[in-house]
Amino acid sequence: MKIVILVMLLCYSFAFSSGDTTIHTNNWAVLVCTSRFWFNYRHMANTLSLYRTVKRLGIPDERIILMLADDMACNARNEYPAQVFNNENHKLNLYGDNVEVDYRGYEVTVENFLRVLTGRHENAVPRSKRLLSDEGSHILLYMTGHGGDEFLKFQDAEELQSHDLADAVKQMKEKRRFKELMIMVDTCQAATLFNQLQSPGVLAIGSSLKGENSYSHHLDSDVGVSVVDRFTYYTLAFFERLNIYDNASLNSLFRSYDPKLLMSTAYYRTDLYQPHLAEVPVTNFFGSVMETIHTDSVYKAFSSKTSNNKINSEMPVNQLSEHDELQKANIPNDELKTEKQKCPYTQMRVDLHEKLEKFENVDTVVNLGIAVMVFVVMISSSLL
Amino acid sequence: MASLVRSWIPLLILQSFLVAVAFGSKEAEQFSEALLLKPLPDRKVLAHFHFENRAPPSNSHGRHHHLFPKAISQLVQKFRVKEMELSFTQGRWNHEHWGGFDPLSSMNAKPVGVELWAVFDVPQSQVDTSWKNLTHALSGLFCASINFLESSTSYAAPTWGFGTNSDKLRYGSLPREAVCTENLTPWLKLLPCRDKDGISALMNRPSVYRGFYHSQRLHLSTVESGQEGLGSGIVLEQTLTVVLQPETTSVETNMQPSWSLSSLFGRKVVGSCVLAKSSNVYLQLEGRLGHESKNVDTEIEAHKLWKNADFDLSLKPDRVLRESSGLLFIFDIDKSSDSEPFDLGLNWKLPSKWSCQQAPLQASRFLMGSGNERGAIAILLKATESQEKLPGRELTDGRCTIKANIFQIFPWYIKVYYHTLQIFVDQQQKTDSEVLKKINVSPSTDKVSSGMLEMMLELPCEVKSAAISIEYDKGFLHIDEYPPDANQGFDIPSALISFPSHHASLDFQEELSKSPLLSSFKEKSLVRSYTEVLLVPLTTPDFSMPYNVITITCTIFALYFGSLLNVLRRRIGEEERFLKSQGKKTGGVKQLLLRLTAKIRGRPIEAPSSESPAAESSFLSTKLIFKIILIAGAAAAWQYFSTDK
Repeated sequence: MKIVILVMLLCYSFAFSSGDTTIHTNNWAVLVCTSRFWFNYRHMANTLSLYRTVKRLGIPDERIILMLADDMACNARNEYPAQVFNNENHKLNLYGDNVEVDYRGYEVTVENFLRVLTGRHENAVPRSKRLLSDEGSHILLYMTGHGGDEFLKFQDAEELQSHDLADAVKQMKEKRRFKELMIMVDTCQAATLFNQLQSPGVLAIGSSLKGENSYSHHLDSDVGVSVVDRFTYYTLAFFERLNIYDNASLNSLFRSYDPKLLMSTAYYRTDLYQPHLAEVPVTNFFGSVMETIHTDSVYKAFSSKTSNNKINSEMPVNQLSEHDELQKANIPNDELKTEKQKCPYTQMRVDLHEKLEKFENVDTVVNLGIAVMVFVVMISSSLL
Repeated sequence: MASLVRSWIPLLILQSFLVAVAFGSKEAEQFSEALLLKPLPDRKVLAHFHFENRAPPSNSHGRHHHLFPKAISQLVQKFRVKEMELSFTQGRWNHEHWGGFDPLSSMNAKPVGVELWAVFDVPQSQVDTSWKNLTHALSGLFCASINFLESSTSYAAPTWGFGTNSDKLRYGSLPREAVCTENLTPWLKLLPCRDKDGISALMNRPSVYRGFYHSQRLHLSTVESGQEGLGSGIVLEQTLTVVLQPETTSVETNMQPSWSLSSLFGRKVVGSCVLAKSSNVYLQLEGRLGHESKNVDTEIEAHKLWKNADFDLSLKPDRVLRESSGLLFIFDIDKSSDSEPFDLGLNWKLPSKWSCQQAPLQASRFLMGSGNERGAIAILLKATESQEKLPGRELTDGRCTIKANIFQIFPWYIKVYYHTLQIFVDQQQKTDSEVLKKINVSPSTDKVSSGMLEMMLELPCEVKSAAISIEYDKGFLHIDEYPPDANQGFDIPSALISFPSHHASLDFQEELSKSPLLSSFKEKSLVRSYTEVLLVPLTTPDFSMPYNVITITCTIFALYFGSLLNVLRRRIGEEERFLKSQGKKTGGVKQLLLRLTAKIRGRPIEAPSSESPAAESSFLSTKLIFKIILIAGAAAAWQYFSTDK
């Protein structure tokens, strides 16, 4: 029996050895409103709501890049100067006394957006306008505006294509600008924007599938326009219940989206993201909760593996999310994930299979296969 | 008791030592705050916040500051800024009703949007680089798109028309820049008390931005110490000028509305900023000197000044100053506290009327012509009522004249023909030599630099109106250069009209006023006014047309080349033969089976068409099969032995 455990441990260590060797260092947020003109008030309200949420959950202003394509707060048409509301009850002024807008007006272009992501700026660009993330950063990228099949419009004049986004993310990965990236998009046909993504560590949420529209939630007759989109409204409804110490998982966030209320189907792309969503707290992306590691010496190199394990083991999993199934239609590989969770052998096999596929030398593959077969034969015979 | 004293002594020594360290270095940094309130003739109220922060010359290279904002001192040191002014403005200053000949209007009436000018202390060749870097740094600091001023098409280097004569001066403005909370917040963060305490706590964002006019200004200048080895000091002046409409319930239209600080801002002042050297509130009333006696020494007379038949103030002023044009009430807010907040109110009892002193000529600017091809810009200078009374007239060759400087930047797509410059004085066209004293023109270059026009006019004193017109052609932009809302039109920045022989100042006849606000009023400032921003519609293309063209061209190309290639490359006879041969061919799986059986039999396949990779794979497969058989044998042996036991 000991041999079995030994073999399993061997296989596991093999599977994990290629995992990221960095620990989570900081959180960044890039919040983009891509729509100009007064009737797109709701897009700015969406973005500012998210801005407020991530600030409330602990991301400081210097780590938030806020891009607003137009000035709604001091717009001549705004009945409430210097105020932006995302609800007709006007209880919450999103444009409080402490908003730092990094890119605004004509500066919100596809070029500047890609420059922020990839970090390729002119020398003179100040630090407050740069995404100074590192290889341990968790980045939240939130975008809202008008979009279509594999594109998102910027200011009604340019388009960001899914290829552009995927290339930028790929470049970020190569430049080690993030550890985990969450892309959240609230536009029509948002799911199509993620089609080209390939980089590992990327988690994507879109408000609607291909062919579906994202609708606004309600109209404020005092402001005169719709003030918030449905997807963002329900995202905020989820976050308003949380504080910085809550451990709600991403899974519970995803489950909170009801297609009937959204009038579109939220889409999650999780195949590039390794950890189980039920074990990842939302504050991983929407907040800034740092893990404190006590070291005896001042500059002691600490291994990442232990800290990773610590996160996983200590994180109280949301009880509801454990056995709940996500909407199967939206997540093609969700079934696979739950299965993974149930049977360690299957997971091992899948991990091994993935490993094997990467090998160029076919002979080693065959030899490894044989080794496994030997073990299998030994095990089966000893069990008999 | 003695032991207590003994234990206190070291503490006291330490404290005095710390104080000495903090303030011992010659001069300490100073901060002062002030608020000037002024009822305006058109039933509005002007609130002018004034903050001054002085960093004395020091040899620590400004790395350490007590009160002075570090961000600004770093800016000054890094880009070697000698003098700089940045203003964010929304709304247009009403020169007729709000005044045009006092220090307040000449300094705080600014063009719409963002205006930036800076004088650098670097070699001539580096000025443009410094400017570029400065715009970027400021855009990061103040959350605005000031970095658009870095391109050479958006700024200019005025020589003498701007008022400050320096060849290291750069000037630029962005008329369409939005001004909102995010610009005010970083500006407030430069103050030692931010907006938490003192006068700045009044700045409730919705009430500030609801006003008719708000202009937020930051002016910094370096003061040379004159001593060797000692750096230069910096004076940072921050002002916010707001024109608000007090809410009124009275139906009488000629009655001035009564107001208080809490009704204007929705807040009250509770205590001064403890770091400020002085914090005062001033109330300026214009045109009410006539019926007051000259002597204000007696208590009754002073009381009459602030509680009389016309109006009364809710608080007793600490001092009253008089000036040629009005009264100034001074309040100290140090005494106010949470329990007793400072809430100054002005209550009018009788209808009251007065007028503001105006600049000698009132400027306005408009466009002429129609169509998308060409047009003309006209600047109209109209004489105001107060023209005769003003000082500053000059006698040249026995004639009385008024001097006026006009400074104007033209974007490159407004292609101005300078030879079409026409000047009309009292509807009569004048030749250049008659009225034009000096002119400096720098023509624009397409997509490289903007054009600039500086003129000095010398008009006769009895002039009623003067008009300047200049024609232009509209240029074409590249499709990438159009902004997203190109159909809205393009802005021509405000022109600046200044009167070099007129200076505004207010002298309150006080013993060299300690207050920075009053001393800044005392300084003679150049009378200047900005004109409106002009909106020029340019020809805008149909932005979707390129896509249509691309789509239709691609379709045509595909059809043409597709059919052409088809005709050229297709061989019918070949295809038929190919189809026949394919009919004989067997499927892939079948062929594999065939090959496998051949291998088992040890005979080569009939058609030896397989190349080297195939051979390799078959070699591999034999190896694999051999290994599998080996393992199976081993397993069988293991099984045999284990069951045997």
